[in-house]
Amino acid sequence: MEEDLALFAVGYAAKLGADYVDVRLEDHYNELITVADGKVQRGIINRKRGMGVRTLVNGAWGFQSTTDLTKKGIRQAAEIAFKIAKASSRHVHASVKLAPTKAYKASYRIKVKVDLEDVAFEEKLKEIMAWEKKLYTSKKIVRGTVDYTGIKIGKVFVNSEGANIRFSNSVTWAGLKADAKKGVVTQFYEKMVGHSGGYEIFQKNDMEEISVETGQKAESLLEAKAVKTEKDAVVVLDSNYVALLTHEIVGHPSEADRVLGREAAWAGTTWWAGKIGEKIGSDYFTAYDDPTVGGTLGYFLYDDEGVKAKRKVLIEKGVLKGHMHSRETAAIFGVEPNAGMRAITFEYIPLIRMSNTFLGEGDWKREELIEETKHGYLISCMRHPSIDDKRYNWTISAQEAYEIKNGELTTHLRDVALTSIAPKFFKSINAVSEKIELVPLPGCGKGDPMQSLYVGNGGPYIRGVATVLGVQ
Amino acid sequence: MSSALANLREAGEAVLRIAEKRGVSEAEAFLVSNKVLTVRLVNNAVFESKGVHDVGVGLRVLKGSMLGFSSTADLSKGSLEKLVDAAVATAKARKLPFKYSFPKPDKVPKVSGVYDKRLAELPSEKAVDVAYEMVEASLGYDKKVVDNAGVLNIVDYETLILNTHGVSTENYGTFFEASLSATAKSGKEVSEGSDATAGRSLKELKPESVGEKAAEMAVSGLKTHKLKADTYTVILDYEPTHAIIGYLSMLVSPLFAKLFSPLLLDKVGKKVASSQVSLVDDPLMPNGIGSAPVDDEGTPSKKNVIIDKGVLKTFVYDSFYGAMEKKRTTASAVRASLAVGVSSFPGKNYNCENVPVPRNAYFEAGKWKREEILEETKNGLLVQRFHYTRLTNPTRGDFTSILRMGLFAVKNGEIVGAVAKSRLLDNLSNMLVNVDAVSDKLIVAGSWGDYTHTPVIRTKAHVLSID
Repeated sequence: MEEDLALFAVGYAAKLGADYVDVRLEDHYNELITVADGKVQRGIINRKRGMGVRTLVNGAWGFQSTTDLTKKGIRQAAEIAFKIAKASSRHVHASVKLAPTKAYKASYRIKVKVDLEDVAFEEKLKEIMAWEKKLYTSKKIVRGTVDYTGIKIGKVFVNSEGANIRFSNSVTWAGLKADAKKGVVTQFYEKMVGHSGGYEIFQKNDMEEISVETGQKAESLLEAKAVKTEKDAVVVLDSNYVALLTHEIVGHPSEADRVLGREAAWAGTTWWAGKIGEKIGSDYFTAYDDPTVGGTLGYFLYDDEGVKAKRKVLIEKGVLKGHMHSRETAAIFGVEPNAGMRAITFEYIPLIRMSNTFLGEGDWKREELIEETKHGYLISCMRHPSIDDKRYNWTISAQEAYEIKNGELTTHLRDVALTSIAPKFFKSINAVSEKIELVPLPGCGKGDPMQSLYVGNGGPYIRGVATVLGVQ
Repeated sequence: MSSALANLREAGEAVLRIAEKRGVSEAEAFLVSNKVLTVRLVNNAVFESKGVHDVGVGLRVLKGSMLGFSSTADLSKGSLEKLVDAAVATAKARKLPFKYSFPKPDKVPKVSGVYDKRLAELPSEKAVDVAYEMVEASLGYDKKVVDNAGVLNIVDYETLILNTHGVSTENYGTFFEASLSATAKSGKEVSEGSDATAGRSLKELKPESVGEKAAEMAVSGLKTHKLKADTYTVILDYEPTHAIIGYLSMLVSPLFAKLFSPLLLDKVGKKVASSQVSLVDDPLMPNGIGSAPVDDEGTPSKKNVIIDKGVLKTFVYDSFYGAMEKKRTTASAVRASLAVGVSSFPGKNYNCENVPVPRNAYFEAGKWKREEILEETKNGLLVQRFHYTRLTNPTRGDFTSILRMGLFAVKNGEIVGAVAKSRLLDNLSNMLVNVDAVSDKLIVAGSWGDYTHTPVIRTKAHVLSID
């Protein structure tokens, strides 16, 4: 990539009078294959190259993206970014200030064994068709779906403070879904496989076997019993369910822009605003956001403001410790910036986003959590969330559950959801397993225009108290 | 022809020539120039102003019975050659088990009121001022209003569809989206309100009205009481009804029915809603928020009755899904990206294949005036906003939404007070079957880049207050 173009944009916007400028020059390669009902529904290759110019003028932000990478096109983008920032500054009450960070110079790339483009599209499609076929484990499976995504991004970040960072990223995932039907009962089961890296993940895993497991799970749910509502039940949550729970009621409310009310008109706010240092959960409740975990969908070493990534401690032994920050919100909170800013492409202004948000491990063995539960439920694998604007009242459905009786898993249950109040649930956590698992979670939405991003979430198995809802 | 369209045509003709040289049987170029200006408002101030000018081409090719797709934002000759190679590569992998051909040229109707030069050329400084007027109007409405956040999006798009059968259709349009959320405080009471609207021309953009309505809802929501969990008669105001139309629009797409929810599969010819409900898709509607003379593969627009008096008459199809399911296209091709990590802006996107979805769907107006629906509700709820709406079980239609603001108790035909934050928890099919009133007037309502023409409806749903 012509880094000079990015530096030209920075220089030109600075010359116009911008107080701060950053530029992301990016190359994108995306491929998407969807197979359902034995047919290829979509097979797509996209390429995109362009630049996003962000300016700070008189304390206000301006941004313009362009795919016209001629000097004329870049000058135009810089001029618009400068002009609209200046116009905005007339209606700004508190000028934007940026917390200081070192101007890093770095170059890094994701470890890839099999480049996504080195496997012929035709080959991938054949394999994906085969995975979809294996979902039909019996005549009860009425529909199978496989959704595959592969993304490669080459990125140069430069700013007017001298930062210069190159990143070569590659992420891929595949979601498998089987719909089962018996009489009037319909059920489905989904699995997701993905990582940061290349196509090797689909060679390392036996995808056809995973398809068979998905189909069999969907079938088994037809025979499972519909759960009955039980208030304040003991629940053991597996890592996959914890992933979505953490995403929704730990990750999102930890975004400092939400804490400041800046997302009030869209995603919402945060119930724990102003509670840093307060005890909001039990001693077993610890949470992190960590972009440096290799192999995850949320992996990076420098964010889209050039801030070096590190593990963020969000909650420690039940005490709210900190949030995810941009340089701007870090300045407002008087803390160091912690690399929370990402944009899905150069066409968008960066936002505070999760990377890999997960709960910390404990010292219980997974089986002990069940063995030491007299009556309760093992809640397994995420399904759909419905959370209020403050991330306080939550309801999240699960793919399946098992009743626990005297330390043993008994009845297989379906159509289950949990509901609770966040602090009440956090305080109820009384056991946490020693092993944590991170799962790929593509499709986290935020911003206007909406940016749909991929992250990692997860944690250990945990035990707490929540109301089990029989989904009606 | 604008200079942007001239550049698109040059690139489109070049790409078809390259494709033919590569030996494809058919090729189709969908070219876009899409400008979006966004002004975001936060904490009573302008937070950021940002723009995107997205230019590119999506190419579909047929090589015998094999279909391929690729897109690029780089319209240089070298890049267009790579684009064709990539599309051909995807085609090699995708043999269609049915006969398919791209649309043929046809007479294109005219649609009025979808482009406004004044809106397209609104200077960015003026757009910033217009956005800020929403905040000023809200703060000026009542001193109890303490905070506002919102957005103004202005979109100016041009598209060109060329295919080797001779389809050559230009399409252009403008629209805006203006929304504001207001927070009111009185003592320890805090309440939110919001308003959102969209339109195709500058004259429809009334920032004061958006600000005042958001403030009015926020102030009138102070002093709430909790609800007993029960099944209530619910009057779904414009925005929640828009959300219901949005879900139905997905459910009548053969693609989304397979990928997301099969709730209406196998229901054509069957009763899926009360006889008060007719779902129509009319992209020929003058000034329609989703109107255009052609769909996104160049098929002339037509009006489709999807649900007629409660009976599902048809799914919607583009040419591809029509061929797959042996149906005629209903001119419902929309380039809507389903991909994560891929840009998808308000306006037009070229980086995805068509999906079949209604383009300008609405519930047909009923006989009731909105106030009559209120007056004739003995004991119920007025629901003005849905948030975080989900089909928690898409297979069965289990449906939930947070009623975060704009929720009022109705007794003997009158609003008697605001209700605290609640959750609606029911089943979409049941809610549709229970519709017993539809208002006679449609307005444009929605949120987050998604707007429809919608009436007010009344139905029944289980609602419970939440902490």
